Amino acid sequence: MGGEGASTTTERRLDTTPESSSRSTGLLGKFASPRTIKNIAIGFGGAFIFLALFVYLGVVGVYDLQYAASTLNALRIGATNTLVLVGIVIPVGLSAGFTFGWGRTSHRWFVRSVSTVYVEFFRSMPPLVLIFFAFLISTTVVLSVPGLADRIGDPNSFAISMSVLALAFHSGAYQAEIVRAGIQSVPTGQREAAEAIGLKRGRILAYVILPQMLRVSLPALGNEFASVIKDTSLLSAVGILDLAYMASNLSSRLIISRGSIENIFLVYVEIALIYLAMTFIVSRALQEIERSFRVPGLEPAQL
Amino acid sequence: MIEVRKVHKWFGSLHVLRGIDMQVEKGEVLVIVGPSGSGKSTLLRCINLLIQPDSGDILLEGVKVNEPDIRPEWVREQIGMVFQSFNLFTHLTALKNVMLGLTKVKRMDAVEAEKVARYELERVGLADKADSYPAQLSGGQQQRVAIARALALNPKVMLFDEPTSALDPEFIHEVLDVMTKLAFEGMTMVVVSHEMGFAKSVADQLIFMDNGVILEVGVPEEVFANPKTDRMRAFIGKILG
Repeated sequence: MGGEGASTTTERRLDTTPESSSRSTGLLGKFASPRTIKNIAIGFGGAFIFLALFVYLGVVGVYDLQYAASTLNALRIGATNTLVLVGIVIPVGLSAGFTFGWGRTSHRWFVRSVSTVYVEFFRSMPPLVLIFFAFLISTTVVLSVPGLADRIGDPNSFAISMSVLALAFHSGAYQAEIVRAGIQSVPTGQREAAEAIGLKRGRILAYVILPQMLRVSLPALGNEFASVIKDTSLLSAVGILDLAYMASNLSSRLIISRGSIENIFLVYVEIALIYLAMTFIVSRALQEIERSFRVPGLEPAQL
Repeated sequence: MIEVRKVHKWFGSLHVLRGIDMQVEKGEVLVIVGPSGSGKSTLLRCINLLIQPDSGDILLEGVKVNEPDIRPEWVREQIGMVFQSFNLFTHLTALKNVMLGLTKVKRMDAVEAEKVARYELERVGLADKADSYPAQLSGGQQQRVAIARALALNPKVMLFDEPTSALDPEFIHEVLDVMTKLAFEGMTMVVVSHEMGFAKSVADQLIFMDNGVILEVGVPEEVFANPKTDRMRAFIGKILG
């Protein structure tokens, strides 16, 4: 009952906002901000509902706020490590995505086949399996080649790095398909016109294909970024002290010390909120970039 | 200015151009007509090497340009091209469309390039549309921006690939007017078009192509009045309705 009522009110609100915003754009002229404000409001609305649930549960007495405070240090370390992972996985994945996505559209069959093999391989493996493969294979290789372990120094951290790269390449495979679809969405006439004025291949790509491709691809890329931020939690399986690792560590400690079971839930709510904040910031940033690629006269239809 | 000698082109097993010979002198306007699929557009694209001919020579001012040691970009820089579907860069304003070749091919600085671009837009009567995006312009306006974009690079020859075929009837004349003005200013032009009025009033030479071969060459009025081949006669009958 309550849910139904809530959904109809949001629908009504969504119905009326485009009208009012289009009316106000004339008035506000170049301050086309009502939409931005609305988007932020919707984003924060979602976060607020989550937060309200959290607070409500605390008020009811489920949460031990003192315990929550005691976990903050561990979660800070976890959050830092997760941020480092995100800082590696997104750029590496994006580079791989652009390289192989472009490769998939190449006229050279060799480049095309290598890119296709890459995409199909990394896309058809569960990320967790890939992470374990990377970890186990690199450990085996390092230990089986005589003298290699000494030169690398710490075989374990080498194996962990490989696992991080495996996740980055998994994400890269998805991004490659996004990039390919974006490149192929640019009509051939655009390339032909660019060739006809004497532009070289690299410049055609940079000044004609890329800006038009990004307009199409950015929403999907944002989606993939949001997804891979949360997928970094899988790396806790090889012992990286990220948020998910810290949460499971804290909860096992609670179980061993026969602490309150509700506190396990509390720990996971805490890391969920941190993941939410990270994802929200990244997807907001992406939406702003998306706006800058918008072309007057080619605005998306409002349904 | 441009000479095409014994050019052949295959697409797979399809023999699209079967030994084309033609010549355009400086300041001349050549109009190519023919049914669809006759190889007109392919011929045009062979001239600026958007398509590499399989055999034969393309000469620009006496220099054979379809040679491996000649960069196709160098050739295309000197030959302007206007497309049936305009092909303006959708993410750039009219001004930036015209400027792109100047800054990225001619390596002009932005201030100078903008000056040239504004002048070219004025030439096609669109000075006031400099900041509009292609999607905000009518077909006729888009095609005129496309002409300005090609003219900005100061080409020796302009190629037009059915420049009015995708336009609503009301916009055809504004594009033809620009082309006519260009012809009277002495621009060398190769035009694929079925605009008979334009051909009669502007063209020095008319070529009728069918099935990858040139069937008739001559002064437009003569070719229209006394077609020598049945296919030309049938074709004229069709386009004149």
